[in-house]
This record gives sequence, structure tokens and C-alpha cells, in this order.
Amino acid sequence: MSKEQIRIVDTDIHERVQYKDILKYLDEPFKHYIQNCHWMQEKHMPYTQPSVAGVDRADATVPDGRPAGSDLAFMQKQLLDDIDHEFGILTSALDPSPSSMHGWYEMATALASAYNDWQIDEWLEKDDRLYGSVHIAAQDRDAAIREIERVGSHPKMVQVLLPIDDIMWGDPFFHPFFEAAEKHHLMIGMHHNEPPVYYGKWPRYFIEWHTLIPTAHMKQVANMIFNGVFDKFPNLGLMMIEGGFTWVPHIMWKMNQQYRDLRHEVPWLKRKPSDIFKEQIRVTTQPAEELTKQEFTSLIEQMGSDEILCFSTDYPHWDYDSPTRALPNMDPELKKKIFAENAKAFYPKLPK
Amino acid sequence: MKEQVVCKTTEIEPGEMKAAHFGKQNVLVCRTLDGEFYAFLNQCTHQGAPLDKGMICGATTNESKPGDYRYCRKGEIIRCPWHGREFDIKDEGRMLANPNKKLPSYKVRVEDQNVIVYK
Repeated sequence: MSKEQIRIVDTDIHERVQYKDILKYLDEPFKHYIQNCHWMQEKHMPYTQPSVAGVDRADATVPDGRPAGSDLAFMQKQLLDDIDHEFGILTSALDPSPSSMHGWYEMATALASAYNDWQIDEWLEKDDRLYGSVHIAAQDRDAAIREIERVGSHPKMVQVLLPIDDIMWGDPFFHPFFEAAEKHHLMIGMHHNEPPVYYGKWPRYFIEWHTLIPTAHMKQVANMIFNGVFDKFPNLGLMMIEGGFTWVPHIMWKMNQQYRDLRHEVPWLKRKPSDIFKEQIRVTTQPAEELTKQEFTSLIEQMGSDEILCFSTDYPHWDYDSPTRALPNMDPELKKKIFAENAKAFYPKLPK
Repeated sequence: MKEQVVCKTTEIEPGEMKAAHFGKQNVLVCRTLDGEFYAFLNQCTHQGAPLDKGMICGATTNESKPGDYRYCRKGEIIRCPWHGREFDIKDEGRMLANPNKKLPSYKVRVEDQNVIVYK
């Protein structure tokens, strides 16, 4: 792609907090638990790391040794300026991922607020190109809604981020989140955390886990659609982040087929599931399989819409997609949609 | 024949690699544990990542049976800094998962502690 022509909207950039950076945004005693009691988020991934520098691009480590994604100036140099991004959506490193924490909801709630404040101060207000995601701790529903109310009106917050792990978000218990998001013109962004496949457990190998992440995305899409979220909240949109996109035609066909036979169970669905998908769900492209132009064009045709895909790099992670190399050549109109226009049309708070 | 001194032998220890310029091209000069030098285009064939930011290491081989690990070829495998693809230094830069793909390579010779790359 020629970068002179299209300034890209990157729908998945992972900024990373270090716990020491977040302390000043935390009240006591939560600050104390991190500072003096060595709290850190539980992490379970039982595998070798996928690449040379763990889950990060080896060349994205900050030159002073800090972890990839933790420094705005270096991200500007290596990503935003180099590629000449028009906009980038921050999606965090999922550490902390407050909604994924088991127990201790008070800590999860405090972390969500601290993270949002840090993200606003250190990123959103320091670079015009960057837009953000509201973090919540879903376990305490009322506190989570208060957090959406507290920061959701920030002009640069464009979505509420929910992890995909072992919670199915279409459950009516969570619908108040969608009501609050809709009120603030926020979309919902979903990104997998660990472990969203194999029924809440880990498969034996990382390669199995990483191969099957799209199945976790399909589960959430089916769950959100059949639970009527998109009928109940017609202005809500869902961005499925980092699950790739080749699964989209399959789940559309499958849901439509089931709907023709089994509609009686979900009478609130007024549209074909594929139409709901086309109108209210978007999908980031990374990690893109290596497709020929013909294969790629065929997939778009099978989706029945060229407005679903939104380009993403996943910077600074190991499976980063290069804007010039990850997708096959495509005609300029389609390129413009995938690399910029689709995301702009999707997020109401992104400048048009 | 175009040729150029790209570095001194003492600048690269066995098992290490570094980026260098060969004319306008960015090349990766590698030294295996037996002291030999090799040079490739410093760009992954997949998405163009700078290979010098990755590492030289060994590999688990594909002769293994299921459940069986054999780690060998120490100092002979380049691993990409992004997606982790492995390239065999001593087998013309062929990719382990798909030997039909290989890194573009250059000829190398050593004269008086000079590492010389040529086409």
C-alpha cells in the first residue's frame, strides 16, 4: 500500500503500563498492595513464549530497556510517525485486565479506574492521534457502570473494552454496560485474554491455543447476537479485536442457517444474523493469514460487505501485521475502506 | 564483481550476527559456532522485519516423533524478531517450516581479518 495516499486508522495498539507508573493513580490501600505487598496480576500461560522477546516484537523493546509499548515517544518514533498513522486505538496489554481477575473485585475496580486515568493523562492527552478504551471491572456491575459514567464522556474514549475469557457478555446481566456505553457513544471492543479456548482450560501447546482464538471470537458474536444485544441497543457496535477475519463468512452462514430453522427461540431477532453482523459488528484484520488477492477478494464477497474489516497492526506484539505487507494488494477504494474509512464510520467519536 | 568489506572478523563472535551495509543493501552477517561467516538480506521474507533484531539460536528438529524434543543446530538458526520464523544459516537460509522459501543470500570470504561480501 502506498502510505502517501492513505493515512491509516490502526484499530489495535497495545500500550503497556508498568505497575510503578500506575501507583500515583491508585488510592490506598491498593497502592500499598502493589508497592509493599508485591501484588501482580495472576498469569497462567503454561507455554514457551511464542517469539524471541516473549509476546513482543524484539525490536520494540524501549531502548532504555523498558518493555515494549510502555513509552509514548518510542511508540511515536517506531509506529505512529514511521507509518504516518491518522489515528490509533489503544487496547492495552491486558495486564491489568480488571474483568479477568478472579475474586478481589475491590482491587479490580480500583485498577480499572487507575488505568483509565493513566491512559488519559499519559497517552490520550499527549498525542492527538491516539484514542482509548474504557477499562472496567465487570464483576462489580454497579461500580463498572459508574466507571463508564466517570470516563466515558472523555472525548478520546471510543469504546468499552471487555476481555474474552470465560464470561459470555451477551447475558442480560451485562446489558446495563451496553446501555451506559450507548449513552456515551462508546462502542464495545472485545479482545481475548487467557484462556478463551478449550472450555476455559489450556490446550497442550501454544500453537493450538493461538490457532483457535477465532473460535472464542465466534462464541461471543453468536452470544451477543442471539441474546438480542443488537436489537435492544441499535446504536451499539461491537469491534472484535485480534481474532483475524477469515472466520466471518462461516459464522454468518451458520447463524443464518440456524435462524431459518430455530427463530422461534429468539423471537426478538428482527434481522438475519448476517445483517446484524454487517450493520453492527466490525472485525480487526490482524493476525492476517497469508492470502492471495483472489482469496482475499473472495472472502470479502462471501461476507457480503466491504465495510466489516478494519486494519490493525497489534503493535508491539510479536504477531504484528505490517500495513505494507500483511494484506494482499487490493483496489484503491477497498484499501481506503479497510485501512481507514471503515473504522472512522464505526467509532462515532473518531473525527470524520 | 561487486564486493565490499563489511566488518572485521573480530566484530562478530561465533554464534552472533550483526547488520551491515553492502552498497545500499542492508545485509545480515552471521557467524556460526565453527567460526564460518554467512550473509543474507537483513529482511524477513514474510513481512520484512529486521532480522538482526532477532536472534541466532538452535532449533528443535522435525525428525522428532510426537512428544519427543531434540534441540540441536546450536548457533545455526536465525529467528525473526517478529513472528519467530526460523531460517537455516548453513542451508542457504531456508525456512525450517517451508524449505522452499529462503532468505536471499550473498557470498562471503575472509581475507586478513576482513569479512568481504560479494555477489
